[in-house]
Amino acid sequence: MAELVLAAATPHNPLLWRAMRDPMPDDLAGVAANFARFRRAFAEHDVDVVVVIGTDHLRQFFYDTSPAFVVGKADSYHGTWENEVRTFGMDAVEVSGHRELADEISGRTVLPEAIDFAVSLEWRLDHSFVIPLQYVRPELDLPVVPIHTNASMPPVPSVRRFIALGEHLSRAISSWESDARVAILTSGHMANDVGGPRTFAGSPDPAFDEAAAAWMRDGDLDGAIRVCSDFERITEAGCMTYQYLNAITALAAMGRPADFVDVAESRFASSPFFLWGSR
Amino acid sequence: MTKYMVDKFMRYVELSDARVAAYVADPAAYVEGWLGAGAGAEGATDDRVLTEAERAAFAARDYAALYALGAHPYLLWHFTEAVHAHEFTPEQGWRELVERYRAGVAPQGVVDYIP
Repeated sequence: MAELVLAAATPHNPLLWRAMRDPMPDDLAGVAANFARFRRAFAEHDVDVVVVIGTDHLRQFFYDTSPAFVVGKADSYHGTWENEVRTFGMDAVEVSGHRELADEISGRTVLPEAIDFAVSLEWRLDHSFVIPLQYVRPELDLPVVPIHTNASMPPVPSVRRFIALGEHLSRAISSWESDARVAILTSGHMANDVGGPRTFAGSPDPAFDEAAAAWMRDGDLDGAIRVCSDFERITEAGCMTYQYLNAITALAAMGRPADFVDVAESRFASSPFFLWGSR
Repeated sequence: MTKYMVDKFMRYVELSDARVAAYVADPAAYVEGWLGAGAGAEGATDDRVLTEAERAAFAARDYAALYALGAHPYLLWHFTEAVHAHEFTPEQGWRELVERYRAGVAPQGVVDYIP
Protein backbone atom coordinates (compact mmCIF):
# COMPACT_ATOMS: atom_id res chain seq x y z
CA MET A 1 0.00 0.00 0.00
CA ALA A 2 1.04 3.60 -0.51
CA GLU A 3 2.44 5.51 2.42
CA LEU A 4 1.86 9.08 3.56
CA VAL A 5 5.44 9.92 4.47
CA LEU A 6 5.42 13.68 4.84
CA ALA A 7 3.13 16.65 5.26
CA ALA A 8 4.08 20.29 5.07
CA ALA A 9 2.28 23.60 5.41
CA THR A 10 3.99 26.67 3.97
CA PRO A 11 3.21 30.23 2.93
CA HIS A 12 2.48 30.89 -0.72
CA ASN A 13 3.09 34.62 -0.59
CA PRO A 14 3.97 35.41 -4.22
CA LEU A 15 5.81 38.60 -3.26
CA LEU A 16 8.57 36.33 -1.99
CA TRP A 17 9.42 35.39 -5.56
CA ARG A 18 11.05 38.75 -6.28
CA ALA A 19 12.08 39.67 -2.74
CA MET A 20 13.72 36.46 -1.52
CA ARG A 21 16.85 36.50 -3.68
CA ASP A 22 20.56 36.60 -2.98
CA PRO A 23 21.99 38.61 -1.43
CA MET A 24 19.29 37.52 1.01
CA PRO A 25 17.64 40.43 2.84
CA ASP A 26 18.06 40.04 6.60
CA ASP A 27 14.34 40.00 7.32
CA LEU A 28 13.72 37.12 4.89
CA ALA A 29 16.55 34.89 6.09
CA GLY A 30 14.22 32.96 8.39
CA VAL A 31 11.68 32.32 5.62
CA ALA A 32 14.45 31.18 3.27
CA ALA A 33 15.94 28.87 5.91
CA ASN A 34 12.57 27.27 6.56
CA PHE A 35 11.97 26.63 2.87
CA ALA A 36 15.48 25.11 2.67
CA ARG A 37 14.61 22.81 5.59
CA PHE A 38 11.41 21.72 3.83
CA ARG A 39 13.29 21.19 0.57
CA ARG A 40 15.69 18.85 2.38
CA ALA A 41 12.77 17.00 3.96
CA PHE A 42 11.15 16.36 0.59
CA ALA A 43 14.46 15.00 -0.73
CA GLU A 44 15.21 12.88 2.34
CA HIS A 45 11.77 11.27 2.33
CA ASP A 46 12.12 10.02 -1.27
CA VAL A 47 8.71 11.39 -2.19
CA ASP A 48 7.14 9.98 -5.36
CA VAL A 49 3.98 12.07 -5.65
CA VAL A 50 2.64 15.21 -3.97
CA VAL A 51 -0.93 16.12 -3.09
CA VAL A 52 -0.82 19.92 -3.30
CA ILE A 53 -3.58 21.67 -1.38
CA GLY A 54 -4.06 25.35 -2.07
CA THR A 55 -6.67 28.00 -2.66
CA ASP A 56 -7.04 29.37 -6.17
CA HIS A 57 -7.25 33.18 -5.96
CA LEU A 58 -10.39 33.77 -8.07
CA ARG A 59 -8.51 32.91 -11.25
CA GLN A 60 -9.49 29.39 -12.33
CA PHE A 61 -12.50 29.29 -10.01
CA PHE A 62 -14.81 32.26 -9.60
CA TYR A 63 -18.29 33.15 -8.43
CA ASP A 64 -19.85 31.99 -11.71
CA THR A 65 -19.32 28.49 -10.29
CA SER A 66 -17.55 28.17 -6.97
CA PRO A 67 -16.93 24.60 -5.78
CA ALA A 68 -15.85 23.87 -2.21
CA PHE A 69 -13.16 21.29 -2.98
CA VAL A 70 -11.76 20.45 -6.41
CA VAL A 71 -9.51 17.48 -7.21
CA GLY A 72 -7.31 17.87 -10.29
CA LYS A 73 -7.46 14.85 -12.59
CA ALA A 74 -5.46 16.27 -15.50
CA ASP A 75 -2.40 14.56 -16.95
CA SER A 76 -0.50 17.84 -16.73
CA TYR A 77 -0.95 21.42 -15.61
CA HIS A 78 0.22 24.78 -16.81
CA GLY A 79 1.49 26.87 -13.95
CA THR A 80 0.71 30.48 -13.13
CA TRP A 81 -1.26 33.18 -14.93
CA GLU A 82 -0.42 36.20 -17.05
CA ASN A 83 -1.31 38.56 -14.24
CA GLU A 84 0.96 36.68 -11.82
CA VAL A 85 3.89 36.91 -14.22
CA ARG A 86 3.22 40.65 -14.48
CA THR A 87 2.56 41.36 -10.83
CA PHE A 88 4.88 38.94 -9.06
CA GLY A 89 7.54 38.20 -11.68
CA MET A 90 6.68 34.51 -11.53
CA ASP A 91 7.78 32.03 -14.16
CA ALA A 92 5.48 29.94 -16.32
CA VAL A 93 5.92 26.26 -15.42
CA GLU A 94 4.62 22.84 -16.42
CA VAL A 95 3.78 20.20 -13.81
CA SER A 96 2.79 16.57 -14.35
CA GLY A 97 -0.43 15.25 -12.88
CA HIS A 98 -1.10 11.87 -11.28
CA ARG A 99 -4.37 10.49 -12.55
CA GLU A 100 -4.29 7.25 -10.57
CA LEU A 101 -3.94 8.92 -7.19
CA ALA A 102 -6.47 11.56 -8.19
CA ASP A 103 -9.00 8.80 -8.86
CA GLU A 104 -8.19 7.19 -5.52
CA ILE A 105 -8.95 10.48 -3.80
CA SER A 106 -12.02 11.63 -5.68
CA GLY A 107 -13.45 8.26 -6.60
CA ARG A 108 -13.58 7.38 -10.27
CA THR A 109 -17.25 6.45 -10.54
CA VAL A 110 -18.81 7.51 -7.24
CA LEU A 111 -17.59 10.22 -4.91
CA PRO A 112 -16.38 9.11 -1.47
CA GLU A 113 -18.76 9.34 1.46
CA ALA A 114 -16.49 11.84 3.21
CA ILE A 115 -16.52 14.72 0.71
CA ASP A 116 -18.54 15.73 -2.33
CA PHE A 117 -15.58 16.75 -4.47
CA ALA A 118 -15.71 18.57 -7.76
CA VAL A 119 -13.12 17.42 -10.27
CA SER A 120 -11.22 19.31 -12.96
CA LEU A 121 -9.39 18.04 -16.04
CA GLU A 122 -8.30 21.45 -17.29
CA TRP A 123 -6.90 23.79 -14.71
CA ARG A 124 -4.19 26.45 -14.74
CA LEU A 125 -2.53 26.48 -11.33
CA ASP A 126 -2.02 29.81 -9.61
CA HIS A 127 0.64 30.88 -7.12
CA SER A 128 -1.05 29.01 -4.30
CA PHE A 129 0.15 25.78 -5.91
CA VAL A 130 3.20 26.89 -7.89
CA ILE A 131 5.08 28.91 -5.27
CA PRO A 132 5.19 26.21 -2.55
CA LEU A 133 6.19 23.57 -5.12
CA GLN A 134 8.95 25.76 -6.52
CA TYR A 135 10.40 26.29 -3.07
CA VAL A 136 10.20 22.72 -1.74
CA ARG A 137 10.94 20.98 -5.04
CA PRO A 138 12.56 23.42 -7.48
CA GLU A 139 13.08 20.65 -10.02
CA LEU A 140 9.28 20.33 -10.37
CA ASP A 141 9.91 16.70 -11.27
CA LEU A 142 7.28 15.07 -9.06
CA PRO A 143 3.74 14.42 -10.29
CA VAL A 144 1.04 16.19 -8.33
CA VAL A 145 -2.62 15.98 -7.47
CA PRO A 146 -3.77 19.55 -6.87
CA ILE A 147 -6.73 20.12 -4.59
CA HIS A 148 -8.40 23.53 -4.50
CA THR A 149 -10.13 24.52 -1.30
CA ASN A 150 -12.48 27.46 -1.46
CA ALA A 151 -11.20 29.71 1.31
CA SER A 152 -11.80 33.08 -0.33
CA MET A 153 -15.32 33.12 -1.80
CA PRO A 154 -17.94 32.76 0.92
CA PRO A 155 -19.79 30.54 1.52
CA VAL A 156 -16.67 28.56 2.38
CA PRO A 157 -16.51 25.01 3.74
CA SER A 158 -16.50 24.75 7.53
CA VAL A 159 -13.35 23.88 9.45
CA ARG A 160 -14.80 20.42 10.01
CA ARG A 161 -14.83 19.88 6.26
CA PHE A 162 -11.16 20.83 6.01
CA ILE A 163 -10.53 18.23 8.74
CA ALA A 164 -12.65 15.69 6.88
CA LEU A 165 -10.54 16.37 3.79
CA GLY A 166 -7.34 15.62 5.68
CA GLU A 167 -8.72 12.45 7.25
CA HIS A 168 -10.02 11.32 3.87
CA LEU A 169 -6.63 11.89 2.23
CA SER A 170 -4.94 9.82 4.91
CA ARG A 171 -7.37 6.94 4.32
CA ALA A 172 -7.28 7.20 0.53
CA ILE A 173 -3.48 7.16 0.43
CA SER A 174 -3.10 4.27 2.88
CA SER A 175 -5.63 2.13 0.98
CA TRP A 176 -4.12 2.85 -2.45
CA GLU A 177 -2.58 -0.29 -3.90
CA SER A 178 0.76 1.21 -4.76
CA ASP A 179 4.24 1.37 -3.31
CA ALA A 180 4.33 5.15 -3.81
CA ARG A 181 5.61 7.44 -1.10
CA VAL A 182 3.16 10.33 -0.89
CA ALA A 183 3.56 13.84 0.53
CA ILE A 184 0.89 16.41 1.31
CA LEU A 185 1.91 20.01 0.67
CA THR A 186 -0.57 22.62 1.85
CA SER A 187 -0.18 26.35 1.75
CA GLY A 188 -1.90 29.44 3.01
CA HIS A 189 -1.39 32.24 5.46
CA MET A 190 -1.45 33.16 9.07
CA ALA A 191 -3.54 36.32 9.65
CA ASN A 192 -3.59 38.14 6.32
CA ASP A 193 -5.57 41.10 4.99
CA VAL A 194 -4.58 41.63 1.35
CA GLY A 195 -6.93 44.28 0.02
CA GLY A 196 -8.51 44.94 3.41
CA PRO A 197 -8.07 47.84 5.84
CA ARG A 198 -4.77 46.45 7.21
CA THR A 199 -3.26 45.41 3.93
CA PHE A 200 0.53 45.09 3.78
CA ALA A 201 1.04 46.37 7.32
CA GLY A 202 2.56 43.29 8.96
CA SER A 203 0.40 40.75 10.75
CA PRO A 204 -3.11 42.11 11.22
CA ASP A 205 -3.68 39.82 14.21
CA PRO A 206 -0.64 38.51 16.14
CA ALA A 207 -2.91 36.91 18.76
CA PHE A 208 -4.52 34.75 16.09
CA ASP A 209 -1.09 33.84 14.73
CA GLU A 210 0.08 32.75 18.15
CA ALA A 211 -2.98 30.60 18.79
CA ALA A 212 -2.89 29.11 15.31
CA ALA A 213 0.77 28.07 15.68
CA ALA A 214 -0.04 26.46 19.03
CA TRP A 215 -2.75 24.26 17.45
CA MET A 216 -0.06 22.79 15.22
CA ARG A 217 2.54 22.50 17.99
CA ASP A 218 0.05 20.75 20.28
CA GLY A 219 -1.91 18.81 17.65
CA ASP A 220 -4.95 20.62 19.00
CA LEU A 221 -7.72 20.07 16.47
CA ASP A 222 -10.35 20.94 19.07
CA GLY A 223 -8.75 24.33 19.63
CA ALA A 224 -8.66 24.93 15.90
CA ILE A 225 -12.31 23.94 15.58
CA ARG A 226 -13.35 26.26 18.42
CA VAL A 227 -11.88 29.37 16.85
CA CYS A 228 -12.13 28.57 13.16
CA SER A 229 -15.82 27.69 13.37
CA ASP A 230 -16.42 31.40 13.89
CA PHE A 231 -16.22 32.99 10.43
CA GLU A 232 -16.49 36.48 11.90
CA ARG A 233 -13.49 35.83 14.15
CA ILE A 234 -11.39 34.64 11.21
CA THR A 235 -12.46 37.66 9.18
CA GLU A 236 -11.45 39.95 12.06
CA ALA A 237 -7.97 38.49 11.62
CA GLY A 238 -7.98 39.55 7.95
CA CYS A 239 -9.99 39.06 4.79
CA MET A 240 -7.73 36.26 3.47
CA THR A 241 -7.01 34.53 6.80
CA TYR A 242 -9.37 31.65 6.09
CA GLN A 243 -6.64 30.13 3.91
CA TYR A 244 -4.93 29.17 7.17
CA LEU A 245 -7.41 26.28 7.27
CA ASN A 246 -5.38 24.48 4.60
CA ALA A 247 -2.81 23.82 7.33
CA ILE A 248 -5.53 22.26 9.47
CA THR A 249 -6.10 19.76 6.67
CA ALA A 250 -2.45 18.71 7.00
CA LEU A 251 -2.79 18.41 10.77
CA ALA A 252 -5.90 16.24 10.37
CA ALA A 253 -4.20 14.03 7.77
CA MET A 254 -1.22 13.37 10.04
CA GLY A 255 -3.23 13.12 13.26
CA ARG A 256 -0.44 14.31 15.55
CA PRO A 257 1.45 17.45 16.49
CA ALA A 258 3.79 18.85 13.86
CA ASP A 259 7.46 17.92 14.22
CA PHE A 260 8.50 21.43 13.27
CA VAL A 261 6.59 24.64 13.89
CA ASP A 262 7.78 28.11 13.04
CA VAL A 263 5.99 31.33 12.25
CA ALA A 264 8.57 33.47 10.50
CA GLU A 265 8.42 37.23 10.84
CA SER A 266 9.51 39.48 7.99
CA ARG A 267 8.37 42.61 6.12
CA PHE A 268 5.27 40.57 5.18
CA ALA A 269 2.47 39.13 7.27
CA SER A 270 3.63 36.18 9.38
CA SER A 271 4.68 33.10 7.39
CA PRO A 272 3.54 29.63 8.55
CA PHE A 273 5.92 26.66 8.44
CA PHE A 274 4.61 23.36 9.82
CA LEU A 275 6.23 20.01 9.02
CA TRP A 276 5.39 16.39 9.77
CA GLY A 277 7.97 13.79 8.76
CA SER A 278 8.53 10.07 9.16
CA ARG A 279 12.33 9.98 9.14
CA MET B 1 -25.93 46.68 -6.11
CA THR B 2 -24.20 44.12 -8.30
CA LYS B 3 -21.11 43.03 -6.38
CA TYR B 4 -20.73 40.00 -8.56
CA MET B 5 -20.47 42.15 -11.68
CA VAL B 6 -17.96 44.47 -10.01
CA ASP B 7 -15.80 41.45 -9.22
CA LYS B 8 -16.32 40.03 -12.69
CA PHE B 9 -15.14 43.24 -14.35
CA MET B 10 -12.06 43.58 -12.13
CA ARG B 11 -11.11 39.96 -12.68
CA TYR B 12 -11.63 40.24 -16.43
CA VAL B 13 -9.36 43.25 -16.71
CA GLU B 14 -6.67 42.23 -14.24
CA LEU B 15 -6.08 38.77 -15.72
CA SER B 16 -4.81 40.22 -19.01
CA ASP B 17 -1.98 42.65 -19.75
CA ALA B 18 -3.76 43.80 -22.92
CA ARG B 19 -7.01 44.50 -21.09
CA VAL B 20 -5.20 46.41 -18.35
CA ALA B 21 -3.54 48.57 -21.00
CA ALA B 22 -6.82 49.16 -22.84
CA TYR B 23 -8.63 50.06 -19.62
CA VAL B 24 -6.04 52.54 -18.37
CA ALA B 25 -5.94 54.21 -21.79
CA ASP B 26 -9.60 55.28 -21.38
CA PRO B 27 -11.35 53.81 -18.33
CA ALA B 28 -14.81 55.23 -19.00
CA ALA B 29 -14.89 54.12 -22.62
CA TYR B 30 -13.53 50.71 -21.71
CA VAL B 31 -16.27 50.15 -19.12
CA GLU B 32 -18.97 51.08 -21.63
CA GLY B 33 -17.41 48.80 -24.23
CA TRP B 34 -17.26 45.91 -21.78
CA LEU B 35 -20.89 46.37 -20.81
CA GLY B 36 -21.93 46.20 -24.43
CA ALA B 37 -19.90 43.12 -25.30
CA GLY B 38 -21.60 40.44 -23.21
CA ALA B 39 -23.09 37.36 -24.81
CA GLY B 40 -26.60 37.49 -26.16
CA ALA B 41 -29.40 35.22 -25.03
CA GLU B 42 -28.19 32.42 -27.31
CA GLY B 43 -24.57 32.26 -26.16
CA ALA B 44 -23.04 30.79 -23.04
CA THR B 45 -24.17 33.02 -20.21
CA ASP B 46 -22.07 36.19 -20.03
CA ASP B 47 -24.26 38.91 -18.60
CA ARG B 48 -22.73 42.32 -17.91
CA VAL B 49 -24.46 44.90 -15.76
CA LEU B 50 -23.14 47.73 -13.59
CA THR B 51 -25.00 50.42 -11.68
CA GLU B 52 -24.35 54.09 -12.33
CA ALA B 53 -22.28 54.30 -9.14
CA GLU B 54 -20.20 51.30 -10.14
CA ARG B 55 -19.62 52.63 -13.65
CA ALA B 56 -18.55 55.99 -12.24
CA ALA B 57 -16.18 54.33 -9.78
CA PHE B 58 -14.53 52.31 -12.53
CA ALA B 59 -14.34 55.34 -14.81
CA ALA B 60 -12.48 57.19 -12.04
CA ARG B 61 -10.39 54.20 -10.86
CA ASP B 62 -11.85 55.04 -7.44
CA TYR B 63 -10.75 52.13 -5.24
CA ALA B 64 -12.25 53.64 -2.08
CA ALA B 65 -15.67 53.84 -3.76
CA LEU B 66 -15.35 50.30 -5.12
CA TYR B 67 -14.46 49.05 -1.67
CA ALA B 68 -17.58 50.72 -0.27
CA LEU B 69 -19.64 49.12 -3.02
CA GLY B 70 -18.56 45.67 -1.86
CA ALA B 71 -15.74 44.76 -4.23
CA HIS B 72 -13.87 41.62 -3.18
CA PRO B 73 -10.83 43.02 -1.31
CA TYR B 74 -8.27 40.67 -2.86
CA LEU B 75 -9.47 41.37 -6.39
CA LEU B 76 -9.74 45.08 -5.67
CA TRP B 77 -6.17 45.44 -4.47
CA HIS B 78 -4.70 43.58 -7.43
CA PHE B 79 -6.93 45.43 -9.87
CA THR B 80 -5.83 48.71 -8.27
CA GLU B 81 -2.17 47.77 -8.46
CA ALA B 82 -2.50 46.69 -12.09
CA VAL B 83 -4.20 49.87 -13.27
CA HIS B 84 -1.84 52.24 -11.42
CA ALA B 85 1.49 50.49 -11.96
CA HIS B 86 2.23 52.41 -15.17
CA GLU B 87 2.30 55.61 -13.08
CA PHE B 88 4.92 54.41 -10.60
CA THR B 89 7.98 56.61 -10.16
CA PRO B 90 10.90 56.25 -7.74
CA GLU B 91 9.14 58.71 -5.42
CA GLN B 92 5.57 57.45 -5.92
CA GLY B 93 5.75 53.71 -6.33
CA TRP B 94 4.17 50.51 -5.00
CA ARG B 95 4.59 51.39 -1.34
CA GLU B 96 2.99 54.81 -1.77
CA LEU B 97 0.05 53.25 -3.64
CA VAL B 98 -0.38 50.80 -0.75
CA GLU B 99 -0.49 53.72 1.66
CA ARG B 100 -3.05 55.62 -0.43
CA TYR B 101 -5.14 52.48 -0.86
CA ARG B 102 -5.11 51.74 2.84
CA ALA B 103 -6.02 55.34 3.65
CA GLY B 104 -8.97 55.02 1.28
CA VAL B 105 -10.39 51.76 2.62
CA ALA B 106 -9.38 51.71 6.28
CA PRO B 107 -11.94 54.29 7.48
CA GLN B 108 -14.67 52.05 6.07
CA GLY B 109 -13.63 49.06 8.16
CA VAL B 110 -14.70 45.61 7.05
CA VAL B 111 -17.32 45.85 4.30
CA ASP B 112 -19.62 42.98 3.35
CA TYR B 113 -18.16 41.86 0.02
CA ILE B 114 -20.19 38.66 -0.37
CA PRO B 115 -22.18 38.91 -3.61
